[in-house]
Amino acid sequence: MIKASDIAKGTFILINNQPHVCVEREYVNPGKGSAFVRLKLKNIKTGSVLRQTNKVQDNLEDVSVEYKEVQFLYADSESYAFMDTKTYEQFTIPIEGEEEKRDFLKDGENYQVVFWEQTPIDIKLPTKMVFTVSEAEKAERGDTVSGATKVITCETGLKVKVPLFIKQGDRILVNTETREYQERVNN
Amino acid sequence: MGPSLRQQLIRHARFTEAIRAFFRARGYAEVDTPALAPHLIPEPAIEVFQTEYLPARGSPRTMWLIPSPELWMKRLLAGGAGDIYQICKSFRNCDYGGPHHNPEFRLLEWYSVGAGYLDSIGVTEDLFSHLLARTVPGRPAAELSPPFVRITMQEAFLRYAGIDLARCQDPQAMKAAGREKGISMPDAPTWEEAFHIAFLTLVEPRLPRGKPLVLLDYPALVPTTARRRPGTPWSERWELYVDGVEIANCYTEETDPGELGSFVRREEERRRGSRTSHASDPEFADLFPPGFPACSGAALGVDRLEMVFAGEESLEGVILFPFSAILGGQSGRHA
Repeated sequence: MIKASDIAKGTFILINNQPHVCVEREYVNPGKGSAFVRLKLKNIKTGSVLRQTNKVQDNLEDVSVEYKEVQFLYADSESYAFMDTKTYEQFTIPIEGEEEKRDFLKDGENYQVVFWEQTPIDIKLPTKMVFTVSEAEKAERGDTVSGATKVITCETGLKVKVPLFIKQGDRILVNTETREYQERVNN
Repeated sequence: MGPSLRQQLIRHARFTEAIRAFFRARGYAEVDTPALAPHLIPEPAIEVFQTEYLPARGSPRTMWLIPSPELWMKRLLAGGAGDIYQICKSFRNCDYGGPHHNPEFRLLEWYSVGAGYLDSIGVTEDLFSHLLARTVPGRPAAELSPPFVRITMQEAFLRYAGIDLARCQDPQAMKAAGREKGISMPDAPTWEEAFHIAFLTLVEPRLPRGKPLVLLDYPALVPTTARRRPGTPWSERWELYVDGVEIANCYTEETDPGELGSFVRREEERRRGSRTSHASDPEFADLFPPGFPACSGAALGVDRLEMVFAGEESLEGVILFPFSAILGGQSGRHA
């Protein structure tokens, strides 16, 4: 069991025997009422979204999941293909509902994938990842306004707003949750 | 680039000064009341901070950091203070985080003698106009300017949840109405729990944004010290929302000792569920002798107000030392 107040974004819980992942969690304490947690949950099998509100002290059924280290192989129009780095077994995860992750999946890179009852259900991205700038316009001469930015493209197709001094071939650290540029990484 | 620290400090100070100037010009006396109290408002749903006073002689005494200055201000009203206001630090414990909560926060509380809750909407609208004129908001003024949108709780439930709240006057009916709309409800909720679950899941997320919104006439079944509107299931209470965030709460204050006594008894029953069960003032109901003035009281979160005026989405944009940063071992964003 898991307390409603301990549920965070990414926590897996069982609702009506269906595994759900928490995609949004907000703590609300109405002026004159008890404390509640407002949850947005995604059914892992069907992708349908459920909103529910629980008292913070409610107990919910948690899902026991397994994390495996896997290598990203490729993506086709319908799914992402991975390989278990221990067993070399290959498997796929449907892209539907996980489109946003495409920009962060690098060929040959290792990721954590969450398994529930032998089924891969979620790809865990590191909070920060390094990418190489594949396309960047040169900064205009004389454009010295502090804080000015431009948009560049990385090797995965990821587009990021960066400071003007970033150029093609640079390696940059990106926050995978906010999609924001963090810093330039020295080779 | 955000504003420099100095710019931020000046903006912050001007905002508070503008609030004070508004109330001063309207004849409200500013008061200053203790942050430490031996008793609190009888509201066990509020989790509080407990501390201890160690006298030179005798045994230690449990004290509490106030969750609001209400009790002190009502003592002043009972003593004939007239229109009063203050901006003070208030404290709420068991905070589960999020961008709109900080355990220590600034509360603006004001009482208008001879006024009702609808009069206080007008005062709040005038305060917004005054702040728009005296400060530089970080967003279009039209998004904050009066008139506020007004909607009753009954209308909001009908419009956004398809629930006739007036017909849901017991826990079973409230639970059934929520389940009928497809939301998860506990098997044996109290009325207040079932109401809040339905409100927070179905209604609040759909409240219109883009203008400040006053949600008024709360169900009398939510226990408060607001006066019940005679012959109706509603109490004379409103809450102000901006961008979906609760900013202020206001009542026509109940002054009848019999009604207040039954409020205290109901709240004592709820106390069981609280993690920091605190000492309610045993004399609370006695605070309202015959002749306690009819009045309206409003409490407004100043940090949240400053946040929405600044166009920020998190309190961290206006608080110099957010609690999460203090706990995280950093002494603040600016150190």
